[in-house]
Formats: sequence, structure tokens, C-alpha cells
Amino acid sequence: MVEMRGISKRFPGVLANDRVDLDVASGSIHALLGENGAGKSTLMHILSGLYRPDSGTMKVEDRAVSFASPLHAIRAGVGMVHQHFMLVETQTVAENVVLGDRRLGFRMDPSAIRDTVADLGRESGLEIDPDALIWQLSVGERQRVEIVKMLHRGARLLILDEPTAVLTPPEADTLFDRMRGMARAGRTLLFISHKLNEVMELAETVTVMRQGRVVDTVPKAQVSHRELVRMMVGSPVLFDVTVPPVQQGRKLLSLRSLRVENDRGQTAVDNLSLELRQREILGVAGVAGNGQRELAEAITGLRKLQAGTIELDGFDVTGSNQRRMIDLGISWVPQDRQHTGTAPNLSIQENFDLKRYRSARRGPFLDRAGQSSRAAALLAKYRVAASGRLQPVRLLSGGNLQKIILARELSTELRVLVAESPTRGLDVGAIQTVHELLMEQRSRGVAILLLSEDLQEVLSLSDRVAVIHNGRIMGILPRARAEADTIGMLMAGVVPEDMAT
Amino acid sequence: MLRRLAVLASILLLAALLAACVLPDPSTYPEEMPTEVEEQPTLTTPDIVEGMFNVAFVYVGPIGDGGWTYAHNDGRVYLEENLDNVNTAYLESVPEGADAERVIRSLARKGFDLIYTTSFGYMDPTAIVAEEFPDQAFVHVSGLKKNDHNFANLFGSMESAKYLAGMVAGARAAEDGSNRVGYVAPFPIPEIVRLGNAMTMGMRRTCPECVMDVRWIFSWFDPEGEREAAVSMIDAGATVIITGADTAIPVQVAGEMGFTGVPGNSANACDAAPEACLGVPYWNWGPTYVEIAQAVMDGTFEPDDYYLGVPDSIVGFAGFMEGEVPQPAVPDWVIPEVDDVLQQMRNGEFTRFDMFTGPIHDNAGNLVVPEGESLTQSDLEGIDDELGALLGRPGCTYCMGWLAEGFVADAQVPQ
Amino acid sequence: MTGGTVSGTVPSGRPRLRLEARDQPGLLTHLAVSLLLLVAALFLAGIVMTVAGGNPLDVYRSMFGAGFGSKWGLNDTLVKMVPLTLASLGVALAFRMKMWNIGAEGQLLMGALAASGVALFAVPPDMPQWLALALLAAAGAAGGAVWGIVPGWLRAQFGVNEIISTLMLNYVALSIVQFFVYGPWGERGFGLTPMFERNTWLPRLTEFADQWSALRGLTLHLGILAVPVAIVCLAILLNRTKFGFEIAMVGDNPDAARYAGVRLRRTMIIVMALSGALAGLAGMNEVSGVVHRLLEHISPGYGYTAIIVAWLGRFNPLAVAVVAFLFGGLIVGADEIQSAGISSLLQGVILFVMVSGNLLIRYRIRLRVPETLA
Repeated sequence: MVEMRGISKRFPGVLANDRVDLDVASGSIHALLGENGAGKSTLMHILSGLYRPDSGTMKVEDRAVSFASPLHAIRAGVGMVHQHFMLVETQTVAENVVLGDRRLGFRMDPSAIRDTVADLGRESGLEIDPDALIWQLSVGERQRVEIVKMLHRGARLLILDEPTAVLTPPEADTLFDRMRGMARAGRTLLFISHKLNEVMELAETVTVMRQGRVVDTVPKAQVSHRELVRMMVGSPVLFDVTVPPVQQGRKLLSLRSLRVENDRGQTAVDNLSLELRQREILGVAGVAGNGQRELAEAITGLRKLQAGTIELDGFDVTGSNQRRMIDLGISWVPQDRQHTGTAPNLSIQENFDLKRYRSARRGPFLDRAGQSSRAAALLAKYRVAASGRLQPVRLLSGGNLQKIILARELSTELRVLVAESPTRGLDVGAIQTVHELLMEQRSRGVAILLLSEDLQEVLSLSDRVAVIHNGRIMGILPRARAEADTIGMLMAGVVPEDMAT
Repeated sequence: MLRRLAVLASILLLAALLAACVLPDPSTYPEEMPTEVEEQPTLTTPDIVEGMFNVAFVYVGPIGDGGWTYAHNDGRVYLEENLDNVNTAYLESVPEGADAERVIRSLARKGFDLIYTTSFGYMDPTAIVAEEFPDQAFVHVSGLKKNDHNFANLFGSMESAKYLAGMVAGARAAEDGSNRVGYVAPFPIPEIVRLGNAMTMGMRRTCPECVMDVRWIFSWFDPEGEREAAVSMIDAGATVIITGADTAIPVQVAGEMGFTGVPGNSANACDAAPEACLGVPYWNWGPTYVEIAQAVMDGTFEPDDYYLGVPDSIVGFAGFMEGEVPQPAVPDWVIPEVDDVLQQMRNGEFTRFDMFTGPIHDNAGNLVVPEGESLTQSDLEGIDDELGALLGRPGCTYCMGWLAEGFVADAQVPQ
Repeated sequence: MTGGTVSGTVPSGRPRLRLEARDQPGLLTHLAVSLLLLVAALFLAGIVMTVAGGNPLDVYRSMFGAGFGSKWGLNDTLVKMVPLTLASLGVALAFRMKMWNIGAEGQLLMGALAASGVALFAVPPDMPQWLALALLAAAGAAGGAVWGIVPGWLRAQFGVNEIISTLMLNYVALSIVQFFVYGPWGERGFGLTPMFERNTWLPRLTEFADQWSALRGLTLHLGILAVPVAIVCLAILLNRTKFGFEIAMVGDNPDAARYAGVRLRRTMIIVMALSGALAGLAGMNEVSGVVHRLLEHISPGYGYTAIIVAWLGRFNPLAVAVVAFLFGGLIVGADEIQSAGISSLLQGVILFVMVSGNLLIRYRIRLRVPETLA
């Protein structure tokens, strides 16, 4: 059905797809598996005509194609259902299905369209009331409308971008049934996922991507959970980090039975308990989207707890806001450097002072002099490559941006550090620096919660490793017993037999 | 980059200059192109001409409004044509409020000898500026204030013309069998109440059974509001609409629905809907403007409350003036009577004071003005004791704030 | 700016105009581009005027003369500048945290209303003038602040779009003013209140003519002093205070501000209050310094013009004041042109050209010829 050869796509600073080959058999259900940022979406956007590749060739149904727009792709039979639906809320299902369909003339015959849409729904098993208004529909139903829309335009290959991300488990089960039905009816389905379970359940063939490249394409029947995990996260070559032996101190942070919801109101952290001591790095390994972000936000006061308590050094700090958590000495290196961790148009100096400005003892006024002398010192200490302390941080590279954030978060009187994927996207040298900084803080008595998708990193740095899956802690292993295979299984939500006690 | 920008900028600037030079200078137009009324080239700054008598006008609306400002601009053109050595200039659409004072002051600074300001809202700004420029004359139209050396106010007995309009409207309503007339009333102020009472009394003269409906629209100029008011009164049974607001839209609306109406302000207002129009009570400022300008030139100008009447030609009723033929919709039988009353007005035998002589009842049946009593000017203008003290005039006894008998019983002056 | 790039790769064979982002547009670029755009705007408006039968050069010359050419013109321009600057500074302040305060007009009206209420009912004629003026100013600022707090709170609490809510509140404010000037405070139903007592008037320059005869006839009032004071205070607030830093953070990246512990809602509400207070102060200046009474038409749209002024001044306090001065002159000058409408025409054309030309500051235009052709 599809044959992609040597596809490369470069975005400023990132090689998103690096000479990717992909073959998809007609009538199959094919999964594209990989972590966030592995290049899956980019590849699918190329296949569906949204992006043009920098190089490489594509064939669809044995014909060489080059899509200038999604319109061209759909003409060749390739349609994509995005994570974010593109529907007009105030119009009916039928109207949305035919919206933008160039084959329709200026005049429309509403009843004929309604019948067509209803028929199409029945055939594909995606029954949907053509007269319903979009805003009245649930998320699952809207997704069905999107699929029917693509079928109506003649999509023979249907690409679904993380189709279950927005669905409840029962909705997801229904969707899987329908997808199997469509495949039996001869359509080809290609879906993006980073959830092992659904890949194992649904796909016939799995292509695993990592860092813009295809690791391998394998029939599902010939591969195990464990092997897929290994392909996804790569071979755990441990970093060269010296972890000096230290005596761990008293309990600094206790999380008890936390329950936190995500932005959509679904439970993201479920009855989670953890304890963190002085001079300890507790690594939390897990595939992205399993509640790490919500957990970090809950600890740092940004997200409301639905249940549970947080204790800091023996004091109950449950329900404190971000400002108080900062004052109590909880530092946070957020995963999203540009959108959470820094103010892009403000200067380096100001970003250093993003939190600290409040403590200047000058009444309502800023301590500009202190700000600039501190900035100068931090720039030197952290060896940030910048034209000066007044440079806007948006002009910095990812590594330097991370140094700014670390410099800020580590230059305060901190007791607990929450570090989310602190080395993501950094080059080797920068990674080394970050790791050394974390170790230095550990020696100074800081308790560090390291949330990372990067198994290598977690294994290299952590005193203990906890594995998170679906917002729950699947298990906690001391450094000595933390092996990549076991952790990979836990990350996939599978408890290995040797642990199931 | 900067150099490139500079080059671009100079090219654009050159182009602008070229365009300005190559295109013909429009100030040469008037000689070649015969224009009737519009002698003023558009887009000029009002300025004085040395050696001439300079008169400036400040208008509240655009001169093309076909109503209040249009009539004043007619007067300005008349002044320029009928008095030698006069230069006139105007500024239109000057908002009432702080800007008015600034604009009037600026005209005074330029040295205009006489400045007419033509909206009630210009009263205080004109008064303030007049004090600052004692050697120039200021005349404020439709106001109440004056001073003792250079600031007068000017108005006219529009109620006389409205009375005639009421006579014609009553006759038409009687003819229609509806016996109902409607009044589109701008604001609940003494002037508008007075005009409404005058037209109602005129209506009752030709049609004793007729009643006058009223809608207050709280605006001088509101095409949509004026239309709605007219439609609403026609729906309530009126077949003739008299409007006190600026546009002729109520008359057009009445015409579209097969009825008739009376517009106001400017002599040609019937042109908007000739079939439906019964005549226009209009302003004729020209002669008065000439007279005042002449007095200022001669040094005989004396500030006063100038309130002129039909004998001074400051108001008229289009269709019944000399050489005019009444509109087709006017019932024949009423024409001699209207001519007769108009003649009495011209002769000074039937003034506004005669019109407002007791007994006058209000629309609730109460006796407002007893037999033998006449309203005073302060009564007509609703100047109470407090305001009277301020203006140096006696206060009112029968202050204009009531609706005369003939208005529908539930009509009232809103507070 | 964090917005997406305008440039895209277009692999076709035709030569195309392409926009290329500048890294950091400097002050000179700003000035040069603004000047260029102004010339372009005057040129465009000149074409319209020529078509309408006027000579644009004459018109511009007399406008310039009227607005800046004499001490009288300067006087009138400065009087205009006071409300324009204050209201524009309010708009600029709100925009520093990316809030569009379209409600300066309503805030100005409410400020004028509150100041008038104090002047009419709370100030006895024998109160010292400085105290009366202080009371009026406080009332004006408070009136405008309330009208800023309402949309600020709605936005902070419920996420109500402040563009819509501030705009709507303008009409509400106008209705309230109309109610008072035609109703309880009105003088005889003409849409104005009685004159205030003399001790609530901001002194005019002409009142000092006894000492300096050159000031005779100048109507500029001491409210002009509020302009430099407001500029300095605002510049200090924005650049030197902790609160100003929080505003900058929220304006640049609300997520980062929240992350840094800034109390977003509180900040939003306070900023909208201050923004409204500045506009309210403009209203107080108009009633106390210019007309000495409240009337329905107290503002000829200062609040709306303020948005344009703030935008053209790129939300920088000093630049805003300069633009307000130029705009004041533009309005004063254009009011001297008959027939009317030149002012709005020019404002419209200038705004249109400036807005569409804005991207020249952030991007440069390059002609891109594909290699196959070159």
C-alpha cells in the first residue's frame, strides 16, 4: 500500500526524520511506536501531505506520489485523523463530513448527503446520527465523525494519530473493534502510539522509531513486550557518572495516596505514594504521558490535589500554592523549557531572577544591581554560551536554556528538586554537565525526584528507581536490582513474574 | 538595510510631491465649472480675507443633512450673495462639548468679525469665547444666553409654522377618516413641547375631533429611531406624521404605507417624498443673517434675545408662501383658511402669544392657562425662576411642560 | 516574538517576494520604518483628497499650521494630548501583560462621572483648590479603576475575553453617563450638568497672565503635569518594581509566570485597575480642566483613539506620549478643515498603513529567485 524510502525532514535544530523507510501492507493494521519526539508524527504528516520531505520518495499503491497538500494525499487515498479534531462545532455531522469536499458542486442536496453519510457509517460500523450537531457529541463520537469524513473522501489508508489519547477505556475498546472491522473490509490502518499495550493488542505489524530513525519493523507475533521496550528506549548504555556513596539523611518529602487529574479531568495520578530522603535521587521511569507531568505539578503546587497529602520535612504542606512551595525550598526543572521554564522574550538576567526577584529587600522595587551581578556570576559558573546577560533567552540553544533553568533552580536554598527529563534534547557535553550538577546537589543534601523517559539516565543516576504506569507506581527497585529489562516491563504495565509476589 | 529604507522613503516622498504638482489644482475649478450653490472648494481651511467682513459658521451636522444644518448653510450662502464685501466660512460636524469651545476659539483668534454657532450645545462654549474676544460678535442660534456687548442669541417662532402644519395635518386626517396625527418628538424639552402644542392647536382648528399621538426618540438625528416612531404611530391608527427630527424619513415611511406627513427644517424637504408631503415648516435664516451682519458692520449691533417671527421671514411654511402651490395631498377646502391664518401671522395679528392664549386645557382636561391670560416668552421657553435669575429674565408662570388638549390622553412629557 | 514564522519554503520556479525575520529590530529600524509608513499614509490619504477635489499639500500645510504652527495651535494640541496620553498609557500598561483593554473609553467616562459627582456634591465652594482637585483626581482614578476591575476580574475568574467585556462596558458607561446628565444631575434635560464651582477647575495658563503676559489666552490646564508624572511613574513601575517584573513575565509567558509563583489573577485585576485608573484620570482632566461640567459628549472617542496611539507607540510610555502629542495635533489640525471627515480619514489611513506595515519592522522583504532562473 505504502512505500516510503529515505525520507528525511529537518526542522530548525532537529533532524526529525533521518532517512526513514516504511512499508505498509494493504489491508493490515500497522502501528508506529516510539517515544515522544521519535519522529512518528512528522513521518505521518509527510505521508498525509501536511509536510513535504526534504528528501526521499513515496509510493502509494505502487504509484510514485508527491503531495503538496492534504488534498493531494486524500486524492491518492491517504487520509489522516489528527489528535485534535478539525470539526465545526455548530454544524451537523453530515455537514462536517462533506465540508471542504471539492467534489461537491456549489449546490448541495442535504438529504442525499445525509443518506450517504448514514450509509457510510453503517458500512464501516461507525454508526452516527448524521443530523446530530458536533458540540452535542462525546469525544469518541467526534473521532468517529473524523474517520467517516476521511472514508467519505475515499481514504483507503487511514492514519490515526494517537487515537486513544483522548478516549476513555471503553471508548478505546470500541474503536479497536471498528478498526479491526475496517481492516477486514480491506482498508489499511496506520496508527501512531507510544502505548505498548494497545500496540500489542491491535497491530499486526509494528514499526519502532527512535530519534528520527526506524529501529525495526517486525510482525507482532514475533516480538515480545520486552523486546519492543528495548527497541523504544534503546540499549541502556549507562552514562559515565560517578555516584559517590553518601549517607542518606532524614525523610524530606512524603507523598501519600495522591490523586491528581489531568486537564481533561481524567485521573492522571492514581493513589500514588512515594518517599524521598536527603541526599537521595529517586528516579521515576515511565513512558511519557503516564502521569509524570501531573505528578510534578502537584508536588510543586501548580496542580490541585484531588486526594492525598504532601509532607515536607515533617510538615503538612498539602494544598500550598506554587509561591509557597517555592518559598519552602522546592525547586523544579520543568520538562517544557520554552513554555513553562522560561519567559522567552525576557533577558537571561531576568530569567535567572524569575523567582528570586521577590526576596530582594527593597520594598516594592527590584534589585537591578544585584540582579546583574548575580547574572554575571551564574553565567560564568554555568558556562552559558550567550552574547551577554541581556540577551533574550529565546535565542539560546536548548542546552544553554537548560543551564539557565538549572542555574536558577539550584542557586536558591533548595531542599527538594523535581527534575523532569532534565537532559532531553541536549548534546553529550551538556548532559554530562547536568548530571554533575545533580550529583553535586545530592551531595549537598538535596532530595531529588528525577522524572525521565530516558531509561539510561534514570539507571545511571538514581539511588532508587520507581516505575510509573497509568499514574500508578508499578514498583520501586533499589539501584542494585534495577535492570533495564525489568523496568521496561514495568513501564509497559507488565509486572514480571519474578516480582509478582 | 537602513540605506535601502531611506531610498524607499525618498522614492515615495518624491512620488507624493509629483502627484501633488502634476494633478490640477482644484482651486482653479470654480471659474471654469459653473456651480450653483457650492462655491466653496472642498477641503479648505476657514480663514479670513483681509479687507472683507468675515463671518464664520459652526455647524453641528454635515451641510448635506437636508435639515437643520442644510438650512443654516442656505442662510450662509444667502448672506454671501446678498451683502457686499462679505467672506464666509464654515466648519461642519463640530461635536458639542470640549471640541466646540476649542474650534470657536480658534475661529475667533483668526479674526472673524462675526461668528454664528448653530446648536444648543454650543451655548456655553460660545459664551465663554465671546468673553475672551470682546471686539468680535457672536450669535448663538437656539440658545438662551447673551451678554451686554458682543454675544446675542437668535431664534424664531417656528411654532407659527408648526401651527399651520397642524392645520393641514388635521384637515388631511379628517379627510382620511382616521382623525389621528402622529408627532415624532426628539427630546422632552420646552422647545419641542411648545412646537407640539402649537401643531396640536392648529390641528384642532381644522379638525376638532382629531387627536395627536407622540413618540419621544431622544435624538435629533436617528434615522432608524425616526422610522420606528413613525411606523409605531401609523400602526396605532395615525394617517399623518409630523416630524420634529432632522430627516424626512418619517414622511417617506408614511408615503410608502399610503399615508402623508410633514417634514421640517429646510424649505426643500418635500422633495424627499413629494406625493406624501403636505408642506414644510422651515427655517429661513438668510435675511436675518444679513440683517445682523449689516448691524455688526455698521456698529449698531446690540446683543439681545432675538426671537423673530413670521413677519421677519425667519420661518415659513413651504407650499403656502408667495408664488407656491400647495402640495397635491393637501385637501382643497383647508387651503383658504391656511392662507388666511398665514396672512394674519404676516400682519402680526396672530403671533405666538395670541396662539397661546387661555383658556388652554392640557390633555388630561385640566385648565392650564385661564381665560384671558397669555403665555409670556419665559412661559413659552420654559424658563423657570432659577434659570430666569441666571439669564436676567422673569421666571415662568405657565411653564412649557404640559401637553395641550388634543394630545392623546395617555401622552406625557417624559421626565 | 514567539509566533510562527511567516516564511515558508516554496519550491516552485517563479521568483517570489519572501519575508525574512529580523533578529532584533533596533530603535533606528523602528524609527525609520515608522517614518516611512507615515509618509506612505500621508501619500495615500493625499490621493483620496486629490480625488475629492482638494490639494493635499495645502491641506497638510494648514493642518500642520493649525496643530503645531503657533502657540495657539500648540496650546490646543497639548490640551488634546492630556486625555490621549493618559488613556493610551492605560491601554499600554494592560497590553504589557497582553491584555487588550478596549475599554479606555468607558473607563474615561466613569472617571469623568465620578469626578463630576465629587465636584457637584462633595466639594463645598470654600474648600481649598488643591484639596478639591486631589479629591476629584482620586474620584476619577477610582471611577476608571472600577471599570477596569470588572473585566479584569471576569477574565481572571472565568476567563471571559477582556476584549469583548471591556468593549461592552463602554456602552454601559455611556448609558450611565447619559442617565446622570439627562436625569438626576442634568440641567433642564440638555445632557449637561451645571458648571462646577471654580475651586474644582484645574487652573489654566491664562490665569497666570498677570505674572507672565505671554500666557494670556492659553487654555492649557495644569492637568498637563499629569503627563510627565504618569510617564515616569509608569516607566518606574514597569522597569523597576517587582510588580512590573511580574507584569512582564505574565505578558511574555503566563505559564512561566505561574511556574515562578506569580499570582496571575491578582496581577491581572490590579493591572486592569491601574489601566482603568489612568483612563479615569483622563476623564477627570476633561471635566475639571476643559469643560468644567459633565456632558454626554465629554469624550469624542479618546478611549478608542488611545488604542491606536498605544499601539503606534509600541506600548512604550515615552513613545506613547510622543504619538499622543502628534495625534493631538492631527486632530486639532484636521478639525480646522472644512468639510469635515478629514480627521477620521487620516486616522483611518494612518492606522491601516501602520498596522499592515508593522511587519516591515519584524521582517525584511527579499526577492527570492530560484536557482534555476538565477
